[in-house]
Amino acid sequence: MQISDFLRLEWLQFRRAAYFQKGLIVKIFLAFIVLYFSATALLLGVGVFFIAKKTVPDVDPLVTVNNVLILWIVADVLLRYFFQQLPVLNVKPLMSLPVSRHRVVRFVLLKSLISFFNILPLLIYIPFAVVLVFQDYNPFQVLAWFVGILSISLSINFANFLVNKNNKYLLALLSLFFLAGTLNYFGIFDAAAIAGIGFNALYDQPFWVILPLILLFFLYRANWNLLFKGFYLDDKVAQKVTLAGDSNFTWLQRFGPVAPFLENDIKLIRRNVRPKQVLLASFMFLFYGLFFYTQDSYSELPAILVFASIFITGGFLMTFGQQVPSWDSQYYKLLMSQNIPYRQYLNAKWMLMVFGVVVSFVLSLPYLYFGWDIYAMIAAGALFNIGLNSFITLIGGALNRTPIVLNEKAKAFANTNGFNPTQLLIGLPKVILPMLLFYLPYKLISFNVGLICVAGAGALGLVFRAQFLTLIEKIYIKGKYKTVAAFDQES
Amino acid sequence: MIQVENLTKAYQGVEVLNINEMSIPKGQSFGLVGNNGAGKTTFFSLLLDLIQPTTGYIQSNGVRIDRSEEWKPFTSAFIDESFLIGYLTPEEYFFFIGKLRGQSNTDVTQFIAKYEGFFNDEILGKRKYLRDLSKGNQKKVGLIGALIGGPEVVILDEPFANLDPTTQIRLKQLIKSETKDTQTTFLISSHDLTHVTEVCERIVVLEKGQVINDLKTSPETLKALEKYFSEPLDD
Repeated sequence: MQISDFLRLEWLQFRRAAYFQKGLIVKIFLAFIVLYFSATALLLGVGVFFIAKKTVPDVDPLVTVNNVLILWIVADVLLRYFFQQLPVLNVKPLMSLPVSRHRVVRFVLLKSLISFFNILPLLIYIPFAVVLVFQDYNPFQVLAWFVGILSISLSINFANFLVNKNNKYLLALLSLFFLAGTLNYFGIFDAAAIAGIGFNALYDQPFWVILPLILLFFLYRANWNLLFKGFYLDDKVAQKVTLAGDSNFTWLQRFGPVAPFLENDIKLIRRNVRPKQVLLASFMFLFYGLFFYTQDSYSELPAILVFASIFITGGFLMTFGQQVPSWDSQYYKLLMSQNIPYRQYLNAKWMLMVFGVVVSFVLSLPYLYFGWDIYAMIAAGALFNIGLNSFITLIGGALNRTPIVLNEKAKAFANTNGFNPTQLLIGLPKVILPMLLFYLPYKLISFNVGLICVAGAGALGLVFRAQFLTLIEKIYIKGKYKTVAAFDQES
Repeated sequence: MIQVENLTKAYQGVEVLNINEMSIPKGQSFGLVGNNGAGKTTFFSLLLDLIQPTTGYIQSNGVRIDRSEEWKPFTSAFIDESFLIGYLTPEEYFFFIGKLRGQSNTDVTQFIAKYEGFFNDEILGKRKYLRDLSKGNQKKVGLIGALIGGPEVVILDEPFANLDPTTQIRLKQLIKSETKDTQTTFLISSHDLTHVTEVCERIVVLEKGQVINDLKTSPETLKALEKYFSEPLDD
């Protein structure tokens, strides 16, 4: 079996993946996203030299870049830790075939290099290096710098697999970053500058490139050994088995007939990789306001701030809610042939989403720092989320028929799996509506009346809760056979 | 109990099932055999309203399955792994199913205690998630889950596949005693002619969506079926 045969298998796997069996519009959309990201990265790579030159005119732009490069590397580490998939151990079918272990292991490792996370830095570093050469930097030294930085990036790639999502390493790493950040902040110890010295050295004395190269080599060997030794069915190839902890949900009984569904949903979130990812993402939404409330230019445009406020409390609601009922796709046939009223099923999901909004609202308390106006805006947004966005999201979800594999990490672009034009249209009012509801009264009457309108719309939505649920129920019943058939397909 | 009328199912104009008329009385153990693609799973999916009939309908206890949901409280099924919830332990799964069928946790605990032998000490109290159990053990959980709450109709697709010999024998005893004691109607599909003739009092042979044989099980049935399936199919 040659490398080319492996590549052929990979290519077929890629081509025949479920997310390619899509309509033309979705394909164009996907291509557009990929192009967009690549173009942004390329532009950044070309532009960063000039940006650095402009912001710090009297320092060599390369030095400026080197001095902040550590931030990018920290981000790279975190991004990879959370989102990069380990090279898929789809080697089981190869184990009993006459292929040498060396070959398979080498292939798995090389395959891990072809990843979004390794291509993205290339798209930035290469144009940057080219610009450097054109700006009369020594090409040989630029090459050394480029190879050094690339080796660091790839070292992170391999180190990530060694760490293998071990949370202890994450904690250690986070504390390290936090410590360095704090010391930096108080001016005790400038970690970024020290890292900068290292990166500058790569250019000034190119022989230093040997260090990152050695690092890369050792990490590659370590991975190689790990995989080579673990190449047995009962070792790395085997699925890890976790045991269920003690869980007591008797307190849920007060919710009556909804309780068993709520209990299941809580277990669903706690025990599966994919929902945990969503939970993490929705936590990130909490920080959305920091981008907006800190900008002076936006304080003149409170309608934009309403937009941000909706997202602060709506993170979980939207990310989790738009995948109802896909979360239950793996056992949808069971649910459909059991004695389950849609109403209770939907009610449980709705309550969970509302709970998510309430928790986010409590966690958003620090935004009080930006004043009562901002906090009132977040509160109005929360009410709007509970009363209207929850139902709009559920309607959108009902039209989303993409199955979810619960205990697997999302692949890059996996979220576009559920993309369809109808859903997008349904999603628009979630942010446009509150902005309009605020903007008109704000312009005509006052800021506070605008907020009251947003909050009032949410409260009104709550009044019509039963009607909304009936409507969603009808969508479920109408689409039942389609949904069952779609979920039956392997994603 | 179950009444089939002019039932057909076609995909893009290709007919995969056509049963003109059939009735299954209460308490009967009904076996369905046929080669791959004969329409067994299609028939079971229609019985559970997971797909829509192209023409005709099925009535269960007087309820039209594609029109009403009233058949759900007295029907249960185990077709494949999509009837299991992977992130639950077996006990949690039983309790969940129990709640849907109006059984308290104590009822369910008492009920599954009866099947300790069937589980062979590999299922209960192990705190393992269903997704981590072996195929055979998953099947055991699904089969017992389908019996919780005393359903009147139980639909099992290939219940003997993946089970170890001891469990196969126990399952046969279990189905026999359930039909005798509780008048439960069992609908069972199987590729294993020996098992199915042993458990079912009636066997229907499907071929390319058509009923081509409807036998009352007798000592000669197994021979007849073996003879039928060893003959080359004439197209």
